[in-house]
Amino acid sequence: MAKVEIPSEVTGNVWKITASVGDTLAADDVIMILESMKMEIPVEAPEAGRLVELLVRVEDGVEEDQVVAVIET
Amino acid sequence: MKAAVLREANTPLEIEEVSISKPGPREVLVRPVAAGVCHSDLHFMDGSYPYALPTILGHESAGIVEEVGSDVTYVKKGDHVITCLSAFCGHCDQCITGHLSLCASPEVGRMPEEAPRLHKGDETIHQFLNLSSFAELMLIHEHALVKIREDMPMDRAALIGCSTTTGVGAVFHTAGVEPGSNVAVIGCGGVGLAAINGAAIAGAGMIIAVDMVDSKLELAKSLGATHTIDAGQCDAVGEVKELTQGGCHYTFEAIGLKATTEQAWQMLRPGGAATVIGMIPVGTMVELHGVDFLAEKKIQGSNMGSNRFRVDMPRFVDFYLNGKLHLDQMISKHIKLSEVNEALAALKTGQDARHVIMFDQ
Repeated sequence: MAKVEIPSEVTGNVWKITASVGDTLAADDVIMILESMKMEIPVEAPEAGRLVELLVRVEDGVEEDQVVAVIET
Repeated sequence: MKAAVLREANTPLEIEEVSISKPGPREVLVRPVAAGVCHSDLHFMDGSYPYALPTILGHESAGIVEEVGSDVTYVKKGDHVITCLSAFCGHCDQCITGHLSLCASPEVGRMPEEAPRLHKGDETIHQFLNLSSFAELMLIHEHALVKIREDMPMDRAALIGCSTTTGVGAVFHTAGVEPGSNVAVIGCGGVGLAAINGAAIAGAGMIIAVDMVDSKLELAKSLGATHTIDAGQCDAVGEVKELTQGGCHYTFEAIGLKATTEQAWQMLRPGGAATVIGMIPVGTMVELHGVDFLAEKKIQGSNMGSNRFRVDMPRFVDFYLNGKLHLDQMISKHIKLSEVNEALAALKTGQDARHVIMFDQ
């Protein structure tokens, strides 16, 4: 099994986390929603897998390219 | 209410029945009269900017206040308003230091633990940019609208809600164009044309419009462009440098592409400033020749024209009504909500300036 790190594409704040550690995710499933410059930007699973780590909490600030979650494929 | 819902990127919007909440203490229910269909909507529809789905697009509108929350005193039922995505909290660092358009406070929306403003049964419909104007009603924060005079035509007022403020504001506020300075604007869509009109109002000397569509270059002339360049027929950078004998004081990129951003930089004279208004797709990197910094060239972004919209928009309304701001030519067609997909498709061709949805009253 391979671990896949999921980075944020933008700088912003974590508005809502929609998945939990242990969840089985399909490709493109939404893990969390970031708020950046008035936009609600989803962070999605790039491929199918199991969510093994959430590295941020609601209201945390995140930087572009910061890893926010890890899935195991 | 009927609304145009985006459920998946790169698929048409669906006209659906959607429910809208009652106003919270600081919220206002607005019945839109007109909503512009903007190229920025297309960026989210085609996925070049990701957005939480499903959502109702639309962010450029004018309407009439239908109902206000218990704490709202700024507007009352029946007031004419323009909505703006630059909702401001009024007390964060950015607001307090005068940069209201950069306010990032989430409090102008609803928090995850609150009932959503828009929903369909148990399904949350994400509000687009705290507005979602492709709908028969909008529920927004009181700091996402401005009152306007009632003799302002609503279809023209809608344009002030985004494209006019973005283009004119970039010239007035972000760049601070001085009278007599030379300006080039790359891209003559709604925002670029507004920048050209703004440069004319600001008293710019040479105003060079750059595009690849003849009809848009003609429109640019009617809004104040002193020169036009068809970038499909020549080296636009070379032409600008020749016309200005060395480059512009100010350039504006109003498309959102790497190549045209780099051209905006290359068109500058030493000491000049390039302002990037266009939405460059997420993940795109821009390359600049490092030695150019020795010539004190500057490059900056502009978001919604660095606006203070409660002050700016009523002024832009006055500019229109006293003949300085030319909004009549900007509207190429009035449409119904059900025709929104055709309007978005037309934007892709780059032929039309703007379609405006008119809602039945």
